[in-house]
Formats: sequence, C-alpha cells, structure tokens
Amino acid sequence: MVKVMHDDLNVLSGSYVLDALSEPERDSFERQLQHCPLCEEEVRGLREAAARLGLAKTLEPPPQMRMRVLAAAYRTRQLPPPAGEQIGLERRRARVTWLFAKRPHGALRHAQGWPRVPRLAAALAAASLAIVVTLGITHTLTRHQSGGAPTASAAISRIITAPDARTETMRTSAGGTVTVVVSARQQAAVVTATGMQPLPSAQTYQLWVIGPDGARSAGLLSRTGRAGPVLASGVEPGDRIGITVEPAGGTSGPTITPVIAVPV
Amino acid sequence: MRRTQIRQRQPDPGWAEDTDRDPDLAGLLALVARGDHRAFELVYGKLAGPVYGLVRQVLRDPAQSEEIAQEVLLEIWRTASRFDPAKGSAAAWALTIAHRRAVDRVRSETASARREVKAAVEHSSPDNDVAEVVAATLDGQRVRRCLDGLTELQRESITLAYYGGYSYPQVAQLLGVALGTVKTRIRDGLIRMRDCLEVEW
Repeated sequence: MVKVMHDDLNVLSGSYVLDALSEPERDSFERQLQHCPLCEEEVRGLREAAARLGLAKTLEPPPQMRMRVLAAAYRTRQLPPPAGEQIGLERRRARVTWLFAKRPHGALRHAQGWPRVPRLAAALAAASLAIVVTLGITHTLTRHQSGGAPTASAAISRIITAPDARTETMRTSAGGTVTVVVSARQQAAVVTATGMQPLPSAQTYQLWVIGPDGARSAGLLSRTGRAGPVLASGVEPGDRIGITVEPAGGTSGPTITPVIAVPV
Repeated sequence: MRRTQIRQRQPDPGWAEDTDRDPDLAGLLALVARGDHRAFELVYGKLAGPVYGLVRQVLRDPAQSEEIAQEVLLEIWRTASRFDPAKGSAAAWALTIAHRRAVDRVRSETASARREVKAAVEHSSPDNDVAEVVAATLDGQRVRRCLDGLTELQRESITLAYYGGYSYPQVAQLLGVALGTVKTRIRDGLIRMRDCLEVEW
C-alpha cells in the first residue's frame, strides 16, 4: 500500500523538480515528500541535475541590475533563521572600516573594528542611493570648493551603473553613514553621507582621495552631515576615500578629526 | 593649521582578507544571512548571471526577465537564512527559486494557456530549443553531451518543461503523448542527466 503510494510519488519527482506540476499537485507532492525520505533523496539529486541545466544558460545580466538589486536589498529586512532563535547574535564588525584618528604628528592612522552599520542607517544610505539612481541628483556640492570636481549627473550615473561598481556603506566616527560607490574602470567614486553630526558654521566636512602620494581634496561636503552624491574622480585601485572635519572653506591637506576612510 | 602628510599606504589586511575569502557560495550565503553586504555583492557576482540567464530562457522577454531576476536576487538576500547546505548546493537552491518564479510568471500570464500551447505547437521546434542550449562553456558542453545521450522523448520533455516553463500536461499536448508517459520520461531523463553529469548530492 505504502509502496504503491511511493511509486506514484516517485513518478512525479522529475516533474516536481522541473516545476511542471500544477500548484495543487505541487503542494500535495511536498506534503507527501515529508513522509518519504527516499523520495526526498531522489528530489535532491534531480534538483542538482536541473541546476546544471540552468547553469548552462548563464547570461550576462544588464549592468543596471546590480545597483538596483543591491540598493533594494539594503532596504529589505531579512528573514530570521527558521528556528527563530535570536540568542547568540554576536555583534558583528564591519568588514573593512579604517578610521582616521588624530595623531601627534598629524599623520593618519587607522583603526579597525567598528560595529556593524545599524540596519536603519544602512537602509537610509541605500535609500539615498536609490534616489540617485532613479531621480538623478538631489543635492549639489557647495560652490566654495577647494579643488573638488563639481557634481555632474551624467558622470555620477555612469559610475553608479558601471558593471564593476562596488558599494560600501560604513558608519563614521561622526555618526551616520557614508556610502561610496566605486568604479575602478571609471576611476571614480560617488559618495553620499547621511546622519553625520551637523557642524558649527566655522567648520565643514571635506572629502579626500588618499593615495600613495598623499591626500587630494575632492571637495567640501555640507556641514549639515547629509551630503552628496558627490563625485570624486581620479581614483585609483588602492586609494581610499576619506572625510574629515575642517575649518569652513576647507584646507589643502586634511588636518583634524577625520571621520571615515573607505578603501577603494 | 597643521598639514598632514600621508606616508606610504600600508597594505590593507582587512581588504585583502575580504577579497581572499573563500569564494564558496554556501559560506557566502551564511554571511549574507547575517546581513553582510560585501558577501551579498560577491553572491550577486556569482549568481546574477545564472539567475538572469535561466529566467530569460524561460520568459524570453528581456524586460520581464530583468524584473524577475531582480526579485529572485532580492529573495536570495531576504531568505539567505533559510538556505540549508544539508539539503543541496547553493546554486541549486538559487536556481530553484529562479525557475519557480519564472514559471509562476508564465503561468499567471497565460490565462489563455491553451491558445499559447497551440501557438507553440505550430511555431516552435523543440529541436531548435535544444540547439540553443549549447553555451560556449565547458559546463554547457557537458550538459549538451548528456542531453544528447537521452532518448528524443526524454530530451524534449525535459527541455520543454525546464527551459520552456511548460507544465507536464502542456508538454504532453505539445508532444502528442499520454500524460503518464511524459511524467515517466521526465523522471527517467533527469535521472540519466544526474548520472551523466555526475552531480554530487
């Protein structure tokens, strides 16, 4: 009796794996599968075979898809593990967060081990990126720049949609988060910041591209702590993008209170 | 105002560690489940092509395929904690989601499924579809070789169901054979594919 049922079930395993069953059939198959370890075993093997059929169809996806998926993902809450156990959730460290800190000689030093970007902050940063993608430029740089490139919406969207674009969202020591989209091929980065401490009028945030030869200003950021998208060009692999607090008007070299540095 | 000189950049151990991390998909998914953005970018790099390719194969329409592929990749982010390596490979898990989504889209769109099947019978040649399978990859060649090892009915049943997104009754109608025949041919063919491809499971 049971044997017969299993035979019936087995006959459907291939069609189940290829999604060729109707919805009611699929549901009933899945219910019965729970009581038939052998059928489950077979399904597992056939599923791997089907996956190989799928892999053989690999196609380069449209380049703009990447940014959309990443931005959408960071605004989407993830499901907890099936058991629903929340214990033992360790505090996670950001993967790569190098922070500038003031040093007696004024040289830059980095430190590791920032706590993970809080989800809400990350979501905010991602949300501002999404706005960049869909609506174009929403903020512009202050015009009192010291050598920074003016924002150019075409250049910015070129970087954000570049096939090799990589996104880093990090927490800064001035609060809030900074999101950097870097394209090595375009040799440029797009920077947005949200939620950093507002500064007194005598101070400003300044953006830097830091390479082997030192730091080069990429422009001033709003002292409100919310800035960008700002374009930083001439970025080479190995460079870092940094933000510092400077006297209003900016300086030609970073001085004090750097808040974040993101490797490119 | 003190000027800061930046000396020789030090090698960035954090970054190196990051890029050298084991590219194993299952391991990456475990990191994604914990909300690791960088891991998700790596997962995207590995899965976007297969997901998009498979969805496109089923749906054909590029715009729709892009939409569904995005949904699938987002689903991978959202449900990464539900991936269980004991139940199969990460690629199989992802492509199962992708295929089911694509097929759901096909089925929901075909209110007039019968008409579409009829049109497909008149205009499509399953053999051409099989020929399209050939990807210029070793993997693709192997799949092609194994498909060639099947009986014609097995091969057509599998490609129509998997690549065409047809239900087995539709496949039966397309091929003009009994329902029971299609069910067994699909299963037998897939078992042969599994053995020919020497998949591990």
